[in-house]
Amino acid sequence: MAHLEWTSDLETGIQVIDKQHHRIVDYINKLHHSQQHHSREEVGDVLDELVDYTLSHFAFEESLMEEAGYPFINAHKKVHQLFVKRVADYQQRFKMGEDIADELLHTLRAWLINHIRNDDQDYTEDVRNNMANVSTKKTGGWLKKFFGG
Amino acid sequence: MALIEWTPELEIGIQVIDGQHRRIVDYINDLDEAEKTDNRDVIARVFDDLIDYTYSHFEFEEALMEEAGYDALTIHQSTHKAFRSKVDQLKTRFSQGEQVARDLVDLLKTWLLEHIMHDDQSYSSLVQEKMPRIQKQQSGNWISSAIKRFFN
Repeated sequence: MAHLEWTSDLETGIQVIDKQHHRIVDYINKLHHSQQHHSREEVGDVLDELVDYTLSHFAFEESLMEEAGYPFINAHKKVHQLFVKRVADYQQRFKMGEDIADELLHTLRAWLINHIRNDDQDYTEDVRNNMANVSTKKTGGWLKKFFGG
Repeated sequence: MALIEWTPELEIGIQVIDGQHRRIVDYINDLDEAEKTDNRDVIARVFDDLIDYTYSHFEFEEALMEEAGYDALTIHQSTHKAFRSKVDQLKTRFSQGEQVARDLVDLLKTWLLEHIMHDDQSYSSLVQEKMPRIQKQQSGNWISSAIKRFFN
């Protein structure tokens, strides 16, 4: 059974973001699977992939918020930074030989659910409205190009 | 019955902050329940979740206050700092095997409710004034969208 099931309350209604969140959930489940099969090397690899993917997701999300003029973007970024630091600490402990997979899986799961349900939900209206605006204008910058509007 | 019931008086009017406070209240209720089970692993997990979430919430809140130019930011930050130091002490005692989950529940319950009702209420209007949501002005209705599309 998957460690973290995707449920509809995790949807933000922004397709591109939902896809990225879904992929993070897949990585968490992959990490769980590797841990269950006691493959330390695999846990390390999946953890690295998860970190890389999450970092690029945060960067993407932050640029959407910026483009939309979401007023609490800096506070949201601080929460991302804090999380990145926490996961980096786990990565460090893992590299030092500690068995952190169980604790890390729990943290990832709790953090992601809390964050998507509340903090991400808060920017969705601004971002959606901005996307709707961009698609009706002739010049929309990178956002328009990205969505092919 | 839950230890703390969420009531509208606890809302400060900034949705994302209210959501975070609500989550903290849920965690306090979870810790209250976990403490009754006497299961140290369960207690430890909720203990950590609660602390991590609360500290992350402080970062969010302090960033908002700073950006809005809240003049009591330093006082508010030192209140957070003092609270953090109390919680860290409890965490150390917990890791040394002491049964302090009940103390944490009591501390959080008293501190959080007091903090929300007084300290947090006082920055709320400034944040709402200085950092307004702009989506209302930005987004056009379907008519303006149609007009834009037609003339572009």
